[in-house]
Amino acid sequence: MAKAKGYPEALETKLRDRALHADDSNPQFTKTVEEISRTIPHMCFQCGTCTSSCPSAPRSSYRIRKFVRRVVLGLENEALTDPDLWLCTTCYSCTDRCPRDIAPTDTIMAMRNLAFKRDIIPINFLKTVQAIYKSGHGVPNNDVNRAARVKLGLTADPPTTHMYPEYIKGIQKIIDHYKLKENADRIIKEAEG
Amino acid sequence: MDAKHTYAFYLGCIAPNRYPGVEAAAIKTSKKLGIDLVPLKGASCCPAPGAFGSIDLNVFYAMAARNLVLAEQMKTDIALVCNGCYKSIWEVNHKLKHNDDLRDGVNEVLKEVDMEYKGTINVYHLAELLYDPMIAGVEKIRESVTNPLTGTRIAVHYGCHLIKPKKDREFAHQEMLNTEGPTWMEEMVAALGAEPVEYRYKMLCCGAGGGVRGYDIVHSLDITNEKLLNLKDVGIDALTDICPFCQLQFDRGQIEIQEKFGAVYNLPVLHYSELLGLAQGMSPQELALDLHGISCEPFLQKVL
Ligand code: SF4
Ligand code: SF4
Repeated sequence: MAKAKGYPEALETKLRDRALHADDSNPQFTKTVEEISRTIPHMCFQCGTCTSSCPSAPRSSYRIRKFVRRVVLGLENEALTDPDLWLCTTCYSCTDRCPRDIAPTDTIMAMRNLAFKRDIIPINFLKTVQAIYKSGHGVPNNDVNRAARVKLGLTADPPTTHMYPEYIKGIQKIIDHYKLKENADRIIKEAEG
Repeated sequence: MDAKHTYAFYLGCIAPNRYPGVEAAAIKTSKKLGIDLVPLKGASCCPAPGAFGSIDLNVFYAMAARNLVLAEQMKTDIALVCNGCYKSIWEVNHKLKHNDDLRDGVNEVLKEVDMEYKGTINVYHLAELLYDPMIAGVEKIRESVTNPLTGTRIAVHYGCHLIKPKKDREFAHQEMLNTEGPTWMEEMVAALGAEPVEYRYKMLCCGAGGGVRGYDIVHSLDITNEKLLNLKDVGIDALTDICPFCQLQFDRGQIEIQEKFGAVYNLPVLHYSELLGLAQGMSPQELALDLHGISCEPFLQKVL
């Protein structure tokens, strides 16, 4: 009997295709991203609605669709070491429009969390942690602003941790629980010497 | 008028520490509309959803929960004036109310600081309360105006994190669930006597979020610049926003855009609370408009 044309060798080749399977694929990565993000990237059918809604796509090589595909294929290293991971503005346009009801934005957040576990993190993110650890504010008050506040009839410092620094202890305890300050200090020191 | 609705005023960082006029205006203008904003003592950064959320969502949840517990202890709902804060405070409240595992995790940490998240309060953006006829409403806003902004053309930047992603949001008003072409803010602008102006790609993000402003400032400003170009095309006197972080990106961002790209717009950027303040007769001094990076003078000359 004549073999059906292109079968099964063609199927074999297809299954070896790196677009469908890669040696460094880690199925656990897919699961972990789904757990952290609480969304369902495995439902993605690669329509590209996300990328075409993305403000970062036209001005960089960042492609959200590609990142979602990497999650599905378990391409952990490729995803976490790509500097484009940090170009998502979290505008949620893709999430609003995805026809498969996936939240691509939240998969990015999950991948960023996993990258941080490997010390991959832009320094500016860590500086915000340091600022909040110190004062409770990511953007703290300053003298010019204090003077302006008084002129407006407001207190020189807002009634936040600025006016009630006794609350900062609690914030530091929460951050320390996750060893976040410790890790931020260490990574910044390693990066800046 | 006596204030009937009381909220714990969650300030965040950028409003009190960079645009204090937003804080002053929010308190004063709300009072005239029956909304009393009382201090939320000891609140911290929401924390910044881009930075903290990207690093470790568990810390993000716990830090936001601490702010929520402060309001729970006051038995008062929260009102806030920033989309970024809304993303942290509203969304974490929502997540913790609906996911037992997250709530248990957060409470384990909060125990160390003698706190417990119970899920007993709600969180609102002030813009949402202003728009709601059960609280204030467009008609009441219109009636409160003593200095109409007649003859000015104003465009709206909605920003992202108040209304997106819409599938999670639970607004009382259907209009607010429109994320492709909303017009509820334009209604509020018209109530001040100004002419609301539509422009191309209105729902584009300001470019600052997700930590991108700090990570790649040029990329971030390029998005802002696209918005400014589209705004320039329609010829407006001011841009209004409901997020001090977006405001910072459009206001101080114009100075950075001039330095980096050589483009000059001189477009005044005002938070809706500041606009409402002007329309209710507050002076530019009472709003500290001199702290803005881009001078509001050309706009003020038309309305004062
Ligand atoms: S819009 Fe949704 S289904 Fe389409 S490619 Fe993006 S994530 Fe996949
Ligand atoms: S949320 Fe991120 S990935 Fe999605 S459209 Fe916005 S910038 Fe692009």
